[in-house]
Amino acid sequence: MGHDWVGSVNRIFRTISGSKRIDKVPFLAFAGEQMICRVTGKTVRELYSSPKIYANAIIQTFEFLNADSINVPSAYAGPSEGLAFAEANNRLDVIKWFDYQTLMVKQGEICKTEEDIEKLEIPDHGKNNLWKNSLEAAKLINEKTQFPQVISLSIWSVVQELRGIEAYKDMRRDPELLLKLCERIYESQMDIYENWLEIVGMPPNVFIAGYSFNKHMMSFPDAMKYEGQFIKRMMKKINVPFMLHNCGTSPYIDEVFKEIDFIAINGSHPLDIEFWIDFKKRFPKVTIIGANIDVSRELLTGTPSDVEEKVKENILNLAPGGRYICCPVCSLPWGVPIPNILAIPRAIEKYGHYPINTLD
Amino acid sequence: MKEGDLLEKLKNAIVEGDPHKAIEIMNECIKLGINSKEILNKAIVKGAEVAGNLYEKEEFFLADLLMTGDALNAATEILMNSLNEKSEIQSKGKILIGTAEGDVHDIGKSLVISLLQGQGYDIVDLGSDVPPEEFLRKAKEINPVIIGISGLMTMSISKMQETVNLLKNENIPSRIIVGGGILSKESCEMIGADDFAKDGWEGVKKINNLIKI
Repeated sequence: MGHDWVGSVNRIFRTISGSKRIDKVPFLAFAGEQMICRVTGKTVRELYSSPKIYANAIIQTFEFLNADSINVPSAYAGPSEGLAFAEANNRLDVIKWFDYQTLMVKQGEICKTEEDIEKLEIPDHGKNNLWKNSLEAAKLINEKTQFPQVISLSIWSVVQELRGIEAYKDMRRDPELLLKLCERIYESQMDIYENWLEIVGMPPNVFIAGYSFNKHMMSFPDAMKYEGQFIKRMMKKINVPFMLHNCGTSPYIDEVFKEIDFIAINGSHPLDIEFWIDFKKRFPKVTIIGANIDVSRELLTGTPSDVEEKVKENILNLAPGGRYICCPVCSLPWGVPIPNILAIPRAIEKYGHYPINTLD
Repeated sequence: MKEGDLLEKLKNAIVEGDPHKAIEIMNECIKLGINSKEILNKAIVKGAEVAGNLYEKEEFFLADLLMTGDALNAATEILMNSLNEKSEIQSKGKILIGTAEGDVHDIGKSLVISLLQGQGYDIVDLGSDVPPEEFLRKAKEINPVIIGISGLMTMSISKMQETVNLLKNENIPSRIIVGGGILSKESCEMIGADDFAKDGWEGVKKINNLIKI
C-alpha cells in the first residue's frame, strides 16, 4: 500500500492548529542528504543534479521512514546558503563537497575582514543552481504528495558560516559591524522567501532555525539583538505562523516564547521529560515537536526497544490533548541503525492512536 | 606598583578580555623582572579560571571567553618571547587537536586551543575535516598526552569512533577526549574515548583533569 500523504498532511497540520480531529500522533523526521543517500544509494551531486531526481529521492526516503512530514533538506539557510554566498562573492574555494553528506562551508572565510562584510554581495537564489533545483524539487513534492512545503529561514547559522568565530568577538569589540552582517543576511533570507513564493508558492509556515537561542553561545539579550529582532521583522513581512527549531543542548525556551510568538517548538533539550510536561502546561497553545528524543542517545546507541520506550514516554506524557508531534532531533545521521528509526513509527502505531489518556 | 597588584591587574585585563591592556601590563611585569612562573600561575592561568567560572555561572558567554583567550594569548606571547631559555616554563604537555572528518565546524575547538595555549600547553591543531589516518600519523610523530577530536554534527560521532578505533588499534597511548554539543555519556562510551565535553570551557577543564590523572 502506498504512503497516505493526505492522511499525513491532515495529521501534521491539524496537530499544529490544535484540532482534536487527529487519528494518531504524527511522526516528523529530519532526513538530511546523508539519509537520502543512504536510502537511495545516490551521491549528493546526483541528488542535486535535477529537481526531478532530487524530489523522487526525497519522497522515496520519507516514505521508507514512514514519516508524516517531508521536506527538501537543502532548501534551508544552512550549507546551501553558505554556497549561495560563496558563489555570489567568488569564494567557491571555501566549499567542501562530500559524496554522501551535505556540502559544508569553511566557517569564517567569506567574511574574514570588515571589508568583506562591507562588500558582501547578496545571492540571487533564483539564479543559484542548488537553490533553483531545491525550490523546484519542493514544488514537485508539493504536487506529488500534496504536502505543503514549509520554508526554513535563519540568521545566526548563516552568520556563523560567513564570519565564524570572529562573529562572537564582534559582539564585544564591534557590535555595529556584526549587526551590519546580520542585516545583509536578513536581506538574503527575504530573497529566499521571494523566490519561494514565486517557485513553490505561499508556505503554510516558516520554520526558523534559531541557533542563537542557546546558553552555550550567547546571552539571551544578545540572541535577541543578533537574531530575535530579525525574526520579528520576518514575522511582520511573512504573514504565516512561525515555528522554532533549536537543537542546541542548553536552549533558551521560556525566554524565547515570552518574547516571540512561535506556534511550535522543535528541540530535544532539556532531556528531562518533566520540563516538557511543564512547558505544555505553561504554553498550552504551542505544539511540541520533539520532545526529548535525541538522535545521539537511544537512537544511536540503544536498541529498537529502547527507542520504543522513549517514544512511549513522550506520547503518554505529551500527546494527550493534542499539539504533540513525535520527532527525533536533529538530523538522522549515518550511524543510526535503521531498525531504531523504524521503531518510532512502530511505537506511534502502538501507543499513539487517539484518544490517548493522560498518565495521571 | 607592587608585584601582587600588577599581577592582579594583569589577571583582570585577561578576564575582561582586553589584549591591549594585557600587553601593556605584561611589558611592565617583564620590565620589573617578575618571575615568569608567578606571572603564568597568578595572572594568566588564574585569569582563565576566573573567566571560566563566570561562564559556568552564565555571567560570561562564548564571546567573553574568546576575548579572554585573545588577551591571554597576547600576554603569553610576550612572556615566552622574554624568556632566554624557553624551558624556564615547562610545557604542560602536547595536545593534538582537530575536527573529525566530514565536519568543518571549528568554533568550540578554537576556544579550547585559545584557552589552553595561554596556559602553557603545546597545541598542534590539525584543523577541520581531519581523516582518522591524519590523527594517527601526527600522533605517532609528536606523541601527545591528549588527543582531542571535535565535532558539531551528529554524523561526526561515527567518524570520532572510527578515529578512536584506529588510534587504539595502533596502540597510541594518548588519552582521548571528544568534544561537541551533540555528545552524551552513551555516545562517548560508544566512541571509546576517555572523556567528552559538551562545550569549549568544559573541554579545557576536562583536559586539565585528564592530564592530572
